[in-house]
Amino acid sequence: MLYNQFIRFVLMITLFLFLTLVVFYLHVTNGVFDIPVKDAFKVILGMSSDDQQKLVMYQFRLPRIAVAALAGIGLAIAGTVVQGVTRNGLADPSILGINAGAGTSIVLFMFLFQFANKPFQLEQVSSILVMPLFGFVGGLFAAILIWMFSVKKGVLDMQRLILSGIAISSGFGALTLYISLKMNGHDYETAAAWLVGSIHQANWQYATGMLPWIIILGGIIMAKAHLLDYFQLEEASVIGIGIASTKEKTILLLCAIGIVSACVSVSGGIGFIGLLSPHISRRLVGLKHQYILPMSAVVGMFLLITADFVAKSVFQPIELPAGVVVSIIGIPYFLYLLSKTK
Amino acid sequence: MRNNRNAVIILILSPFFILMSMIASIMYGAKTIDFQTAWQAIVHYDFGNVDHVIIATGRIPRAIAAAVVGASLAAAGAIMQGVTRNYLASPSIMGVNDGSVFMITLAIVFMPHLTNSELIILSMIGSAFGAGLVYGFGSLFKDGLSPVRLAIIGTVIGTFLSSTATAVAMYFQVSQNITAWYSTKIQTVDPPMLYLSLPILGGGLLLAIAVSKAVTIASLGEETAIGLGQKTKWIKVISMLSVVCLTGVSVALVGKIGFVGLVVPHISRFLTGSDYRVIVPCAAFLGAAFLTLCDCLSRMVNFPFETPVGVVTSLIGVPFFLYLIRTKGGNRNAL
Repeated sequence: MLYNQFIRFVLMITLFLFLTLVVFYLHVTNGVFDIPVKDAFKVILGMSSDDQQKLVMYQFRLPRIAVAALAGIGLAIAGTVVQGVTRNGLADPSILGINAGAGTSIVLFMFLFQFANKPFQLEQVSSILVMPLFGFVGGLFAAILIWMFSVKKGVLDMQRLILSGIAISSGFGALTLYISLKMNGHDYETAAAWLVGSIHQANWQYATGMLPWIIILGGIIMAKAHLLDYFQLEEASVIGIGIASTKEKTILLLCAIGIVSACVSVSGGIGFIGLLSPHISRRLVGLKHQYILPMSAVVGMFLLITADFVAKSVFQPIELPAGVVVSIIGIPYFLYLLSKTK
Repeated sequence: MRNNRNAVIILILSPFFILMSMIASIMYGAKTIDFQTAWQAIVHYDFGNVDHVIIATGRIPRAIAAAVVGASLAAAGAIMQGVTRNYLASPSIMGVNDGSVFMITLAIVFMPHLTNSELIILSMIGSAFGAGLVYGFGSLFKDGLSPVRLAIIGTVIGTFLSSTATAVAMYFQVSQNITAWYSTKIQTVDPPMLYLSLPILGGGLLLAIAVSKAVTIASLGEETAIGLGQKTKWIKVISMLSVVCLTGVSVALVGKIGFVGLVVPHISRFLTGSDYRVIVPCAAFLGAAFLTLCDCLSRMVNFPFETPVGVVTSLIGVPFFLYLIRTKGGNRNAL
């Protein structure tokens, strides 16, 4: 049985990695500027001398795919953790208002430092590193607020959790609107594009800025993956087994918030990846979180790269934000899940 | 008895309060204009006087719009809460506003030269569309009409509609125009548009008051209402029609303003009891006072710049929303 599960896991993850490779191939070769397959390989392997192709590949397509992949991985892992800890299949960082909190503080950051206007310089590199921290504070603040309002007499009430999430999201949404209308036109366009989850402005700095968050926090979460299995039991049993439940849950949630903030600071308002991927992977590999987590990460990466590819190709040459594509796919799925739950 | 006394007090006092807020709203702003001049502008209007022009074309239409829209949204919220027996029902949470915004965005992008009346009609169709979508999904699902489920479905469909609208707006590169359009519309109320919408809003309010007796019975529950001989389907249709008139026209007139329709009916119900014949008119009066006051506040928060009035109502409404969740939780009949 266990052995079968492992084989299934390996099979599925290979399948999805392969699918990701297919989308990667489509994403790299198609676009406003088509690059033939042979040339694409040459450029990637560093054997091409065509400067135009090099520019398109290294400055536009690859960083964009890298950011999509990283954000997909991060959001999917965070979604799995949030669903696991709250034992609620409908929980998702974006529904719980964590994205909105991080978003508000990042828009505030953009407003205060107005870096979109400045040419590329050292300051910008440091601001890319600082932005996730800013987002983390906002996301944490939102999470604490939601927690405060949904815990009554020491018990976490799921319906309250979702409702307070909705309330907090709209509160932060109002604040974001207030701040963004105070910006000048150019900054506003940047902020608006960012808010709806558009990643076509991605560059290597963004990608490298996200990497440490995902590697370190993702590593901590993976190391604690087995705990998520125990958390599916009743609270009393979890404590009975000898797990410091509250402490471990807090650590896991903090890691998830950290990852979400790093993703949000780069990719903006992309919701529903954290909802979809854990569900899909649970269907594929069963209930063990040691399998679900990596599976979910791969599924998230696949979904976001695909969404980004769709976003850039449907209305060529004008691009849609990837976040919009994800919510147009994600919301019907969410409604479907809602219809299944009792 | 006590509740009726409260209702009488509200109905007598709030017109004064509304009048005071409107006067404040007319006098204060980026340029303070004293009462004497304001009065002169009404009785002896002088085209050459800048202050008079500000009063007549800017301040007075705006004050009237705020009062009327406040009344409409609050009455619509009260009717929705009564009919669905859902304490979270309100135009902003149930996708009605988003549907209307969605339609208006499409209209601005694809048919830029619409007349006011066409815009109003489109906005009404949009709000009916949004509400229909949310209720449709709500009744499809098991237990879908419970407060929590309906709030979730409403939020999700609202997100869906507004993200589609955003995509369209970005595609045509008019996103800031549209954001400005629906969050700062009240500052530039168009007098002809206002005159056009007043009769529809008035009709919607009358319809709301006319249906309020039936809503009281409907709020006792579906079985009881049928047992008392009520044609529940018709009541739902008529109250829906009134909600669509009230919110659709409001959005076309002043843009997207949330939480008025959630907060004010609760206050009204808290003060006057459970009879919707009293709750609806009281909510309308309180709503008018509330929105006029919020509109004044929106000019003070970041003086001399204006803040979207929707931001002010959200900042008041969100804590109230949280309070409702805190005290009532997920119970179905928590009215």
